[in-house]
Amino acid sequence: MRRNQGCNHLDHHLARRQFLAGAAGAMGLGLLGSPATAEKIKGQHKRVLQIYLQGGVSQLESWDPKPGTEHGGPFRAIPTSVPGMHISELLPYTAKQMHLLSIVRSINLKTNDHRQGRLFMEKGRRAGEYPYVGSIASKYLAPANSELPGYIHISTRGLTDSTSAFLGAQHGQLKFEGVKPPKNLAVPKGLDETADARRVQLREQFNQQFRVGRPKSLTESFDASFQQAAKLMGRKELFEKAPDPKDLERYGKHDFGRNCLLARALLENNATCVKVTHHGYDSHAENFNFHLEQLGEFDKTFAMLVDDLHQRGLLESTLVMVYSEFGRTPKINVRYGRDHWGTAWSIALGGCGIQPGAIIGTTNEKGTAVADREVDAGHLFHTYLQALGIDSTNDHDIAGRSIPIGDPTAQPIKELLS
Amino acid sequence: MNVNQSDTSDALVAKKPVVDYEAIDLEKTHQVSEFKHKFPLTSCRADPTGKYVVAGAQDLDIQVWDLQTKSNRTLKGHTSWVRSFDFSKDGSRLYSACWGGDIKVWNMTDTQPKPIMTIQAHTGSARWVRISPDQKKLATCGNDLLIKVWNVEDGKLLQTFKGHERHVYAVDFHPDGHHLVSQDLMGFIKIWDMKTGKQARSIDASVMTGYDNKFAADMGGARDLQFSPDGSELASAGITKVVNSFAGVQDPIIMLFDWKTGKEKAQLKPEKTFQGIAWGVRYHPDGFLIGAGANRSGKGELWFRKPGEKEFFHTMKLSTAARGLDLLSDGRHLVIAHSDGAVRVYRMTAEAKRPTKTKT
Repeated sequence: MRRNQGCNHLDHHLARRQFLAGAAGAMGLGLLGSPATAEKIKGQHKRVLQIYLQGGVSQLESWDPKPGTEHGGPFRAIPTSVPGMHISELLPYTAKQMHLLSIVRSINLKTNDHRQGRLFMEKGRRAGEYPYVGSIASKYLAPANSELPGYIHISTRGLTDSTSAFLGAQHGQLKFEGVKPPKNLAVPKGLDETADARRVQLREQFNQQFRVGRPKSLTESFDASFQQAAKLMGRKELFEKAPDPKDLERYGKHDFGRNCLLARALLENNATCVKVTHHGYDSHAENFNFHLEQLGEFDKTFAMLVDDLHQRGLLESTLVMVYSEFGRTPKINVRYGRDHWGTAWSIALGGCGIQPGAIIGTTNEKGTAVADREVDAGHLFHTYLQALGIDSTNDHDIAGRSIPIGDPTAQPIKELLS
Repeated sequence: MNVNQSDTSDALVAKKPVVDYEAIDLEKTHQVSEFKHKFPLTSCRADPTGKYVVAGAQDLDIQVWDLQTKSNRTLKGHTSWVRSFDFSKDGSRLYSACWGGDIKVWNMTDTQPKPIMTIQAHTGSARWVRISPDQKKLATCGNDLLIKVWNVEDGKLLQTFKGHERHVYAVDFHPDGHHLVSQDLMGFIKIWDMKTGKQARSIDASVMTGYDNKFAADMGGARDLQFSPDGSELASAGITKVVNSFAGVQDPIIMLFDWKTGKEKAQLKPEKTFQGIAWGVRYHPDGFLIGAGANRSGKGELWFRKPGEKEFFHTMKLSTAARGLDLLSDGRHLVIAHSDGAVRVYRMTAEAKRPTKTKT
């Protein structure tokens, strides 16, 4: 078998063709969604917290440990707050929160490619221009009067994705570089509020002239950018306020700790989907030392965040996803590394609409294949949306054209839904 | 021509050079035996009496091979991979440290040794174990960022040293018996005074770490640590020039430091084409230094350096990655733990020709 030994450089950059295709879709199909779908979830502001472990976290060092087996690695399994459920000893804080979370251990994506895996996990489809989970959340869950953009991604580096497809630019991912406020958030020096308002008015006049004879969606995309900027300008205190030292102590003073504190603040202020990327899991060499470092950073921070959401009554309305683009090979290579592995791996879910404390599916004794309840990202996609109260079997209504929200050939993991 | 034969009509015969097969000739180092386990090995150690070699592997057991009889024993008891060993001076006690944080003591005079003592030494991995020169104490380090010193007889904790801010990769006693040296992920070397219980000084070895910008993580630390026999020099094996450690793209390095001044004496590196990790370093009693490492593609190398020189003078290619290195007490052999599951014994002399069999 040929394993993927490295990462495609291009995968770490915006795919121009994809971007153009997405933009064209947005322009051509308009921005309207299905009134039926929107009506069903009206009045319930449900949220999504995505923790994306970029590069592919090892399932054997996290959610599906196999200590003492041929490919088990050096780490042991520890009990969790759920009787009978064990996870890796690298996650001692998370282990205490597992009664709030569940594990899916039987994912087979049938791809070992970073980009293919990532897009499948986000879109629920292997191919095609479809919106990410975050963009769908923005479309169907964000209140009309939301003071924040619907889909915010906090990441210190890495990927720039076109996420909204035909849903329109206002549902696209807005990326923050860590806790730094986006550039040019403040009104330029020397421009008072009156002058700024006149500037906006002038732009709208130009837009009206520009709209004549052009598709509505084209100007809506431009407008969306300004609207998102305006929303952020109105809430810039979220970035300016220094974190509480006690919170920093609990979450950690590293980037991931600070990013998760910002995520908590955004969710508390009615953000709809907040994604935080934690980098550094593509461990083709020194897998065990790197997972010690990376999960050591992830574990306490994530556990504190889940606990805070729970204590503050937000967890019931917030779907929590901890995921990657794939897992890592059971076989340990000569560099003490594990390579890409989409064949039998795990994620963790919790919060809104998810049955807590469950383990879905199993892998075989050596972790080399799914043994029971095989699922892929299509099934997971339906599960996320149905947990959020969105009927994933329904259609997007895009300017009179119906597009299935979830892959019609896949189904939700019903036993995972509460 | 042989001048003594110039005046004769006898056939000229080249005089065979006299080869001392006991004389060390590093450039003629060659493999003499192999001991195979079914899992890749992670570490090895030769006992001071020259009877055994022990190895840890990517399983929970310790393999013990008798160098004379080639018989094998398996020591069971650890609950995670064993990454470090030391022996008592007489070879009767084996001390082993595992990723699970435990130190185990084994009586090697037993036919089938079982742990005679287990010390739950660290929260998180116990990365290293060494016995003191007076044979009374054990030093360990672990992922709880601590250095600990234990009474070797009863396993009682004697001292704890705090100060490292990142995972501690190795620890050793200075031959004077009063100081400990430890090195962490960030390359920081700390020297601890066992009399005061405090850090005495530090050595900058930050060249032995790197931040991988692409993957946003640190990589570094000592993969082996040893003092020269007279204690005047410290050698540390590891990595430098981190480019993409997640794919193994960095250079191996062995750094030498003057013990008194703490100043760097040498940065020893293999050829630039060999990217990977230096996993082992040993001082030979004759003064030369031996290093071993593994590259990205799973090949290994042995490196030899003469005293005082700034570069290795000889490199020996190995077919599989070298993950651990030790010297046998005879000073003629070295052992390497390989990634293909074999401990191989290499002899640092010319190869003795075996008598050829003649047909009758």
